[in-house]
Amino acid sequence: MWPRVWHFLSFGAPGVLVYVCFVLAPIGISFWYSLTNYNPFNPPISYVGFDNYVLLFQDNEFLTALKITSILTAIVVVVPNVLGLGVALLLDRPGWLYNALRSVFFTPVILSSVVVSIIWSRLLDNDGPLNAFLRVVGLDPPGWLSDPDVAIYSLASIVCWQMLGFCVVVYLAGLQGVPTELLEAAEIDGAGPVRRFRAVTWPLLAPALTINTVVLLISAFKTYDYVKVITNGGPGAGATATIAFNVLATGFDANHVGYASAMAIVMLLIVAVVTAVVLKLLQRREVDL
Amino acid sequence: MKRFSAVGAALLLAAGLAGCSVKSDTGGTGGGEEISFLTFETPNLKPEYWDEAIKRVQAKNPEIKVKKLVAPNTDRTAYAKQLLQSGQFPDVMIAVAPAGFAEAGELYAWSPDELKDFEFPTANPVRGKYFQLPANTQTIPPVYYNKKLFAAAGITAEPKTWPELIAAAEKLKAAGTTPFVTGGGKDGFASSMILAGIVSTDVYSKNKDWLTHRREDKVKFADPDFTAALAKFADLAAKGYVDKTSLSRDYTATEQAFLEGKGAMYPMGNWFAAAADSKPHDFDIGVFNFPTTDGKLVVPAYTGGGMIVNANSKNLPAAKKFALAFQLDKAQLDQSVKADGLIPAIKGYTPPSDMGAVYQAGYKLYQDAVKQSAVVHAFRWETADDGLLPGMADKVDQAAQDLITGRKPAAEVAAFLDTEWNKAR
Repeated sequence: MWPRVWHFLSFGAPGVLVYVCFVLAPIGISFWYSLTNYNPFNPPISYVGFDNYVLLFQDNEFLTALKITSILTAIVVVVPNVLGLGVALLLDRPGWLYNALRSVFFTPVILSSVVVSIIWSRLLDNDGPLNAFLRVVGLDPPGWLSDPDVAIYSLASIVCWQMLGFCVVVYLAGLQGVPTELLEAAEIDGAGPVRRFRAVTWPLLAPALTINTVVLLISAFKTYDYVKVITNGGPGAGATATIAFNVLATGFDANHVGYASAMAIVMLLIVAVVTAVVLKLLQRREVDL
Repeated sequence: MKRFSAVGAALLLAAGLAGCSVKSDTGGTGGGEEISFLTFETPNLKPEYWDEAIKRVQAKNPEIKVKKLVAPNTDRTAYAKQLLQSGQFPDVMIAVAPAGFAEAGELYAWSPDELKDFEFPTANPVRGKYFQLPANTQTIPPVYYNKKLFAAAGITAEPKTWPELIAAAEKLKAAGTTPFVTGGGKDGFASSMILAGIVSTDVYSKNKDWLTHRREDKVKFADPDFTAALAKFADLAAKGYVDKTSLSRDYTATEQAFLEGKGAMYPMGNWFAAAADSKPHDFDIGVFNFPTTDGKLVVPAYTGGGMIVNANSKNLPAAKKFALAFQLDKAQLDQSVKADGLIPAIKGYTPPSDMGAVYQAGYKLYQDAVKQSAVVHAFRWETADDGLLPGMADKVDQAAQDLITGRKPAAEVAAFLDTEWNKAR
């Protein structure tokens, strides 16, 4: 019996150890910190129970960050999904041109988000090429990144731009898995292109929709790099500060690691719950279909 | 096979546990005379500046080996905190604010004898000790201006009082010129330069220990004098003298905007003088002290910016030796003046005579202020017991942005700063 256990352990241990060391242990440590007033520059650490969590929900900065993150997430989940499906439908045909266009759409995905952020911050600058063009055609451009009411939508657009290629590829894979005989049968039965899409293609793309939605949801919720490089949370207090941005600012700038850990744990719980619910709903849809 | 499996499992377990362990020391490099040195890069301080500086010190101290580290952005203090918390605290760091690190016992406290060559050895005390070499002074912010745009707007004299500044801004605006160049983006400090000038000259001139008193809760941001300073800045923005659409510009782009003539006045730290004297532009640049309400001479400045040393460095003697050699080397001082427009605060040092006109003009303004004892702290830039609490500098930048965009009135911004201050404690 024991030799058999050791045998299995030797195969399972690497994965388990990596998971424990790099996922479970940091979460556990963060949770412990969140119950303390841990400030590395102001020892000793004291246990404060759930005080940090109580403070969090009275903290306007955190509540604003939650709102900003929710807006960003909603946009990033919907827009690349919808546009990605449209582009995938247009590119789902043979030929070198379509192959080349697939590469073009996928290129932003492989770029570093920092590089993307720098490029877009230049493009969207008040004196940047986009505004120069808009002025040439007689339009008065908004402050894409300098107007606090517009900046979050500009940031969301940048994230959408980078994630679009990912959605396109996943939907293309899904489209190529749709049996042609089903589409032909529907056509013989008199279904037009719209009906064929609604009745055959769209239901069979359910797994692709699930993948895209879950990946976009998680990516958007933990957005940090774009905010740090482009706006540093501004312009003005909290205009574009996401929860992830506030976690790092609170932990590393203000040194309140305990409080920042409470933010991180709340963020983890929100992402976990929302992802679980969305996954359940989408997977149930897959089964129903 | 069984023995193989057991040994494999044991090795993996050991490797995993090793991966989970935390380094017991607080960073630094390995043995010998090797030290790690945290630098940062700006448009003025390029990689070759640091490489040459390190080489110069090593030429005189060949036993010291230096591993150069570079902060990912201009916020080297935040990066140093990350390095400390991950057990990689460098041996030597430059222009990293000592507050926090010093109280936690992470920094070496310099002795009076080691500070004997510095002009202001008691600058930036933290609990009565001195952790950062007071290597140079920066005036923050003098106002650089475009002489061509001033002349075109009919402005014949440099503004000395606030009403004169407003009158000049009005003439510039009427001539179709943006009066003040400002910025923001990832470099929020570019947004708060004017505010730093107003608070320093209006509030600090009446109470030079204002931030120390804020730490003691003797004053608040919502007090009338500070709120009035915020309102003064808000008024400047409301009149359209500060271009709110430029808040997305980072520091590099902001500097470039002024050099391209996209605005007439550029309140910025005196490090800009280096760029003004070396980068291409098609107009003459002048500089004047940040105007005060009644024209009384008040010059905000910060002395510090030098090196701090990891108290737990494995090579502490080498780290101290490197730091002092770097900061006191004449050739290095000359280079720092040329590259970054610094005003070295070293006894007996005078800047090279071939420095450009903009640097010379700013240097003279500072020397005159020293002679007249008219120097006050530069708000937002203090780094010791008299400074903002950790994390508050970003809040000040955000507050300045809210005033520029008109998103919040002065009273609301003051309340925001008090709230954030209480959270930052």
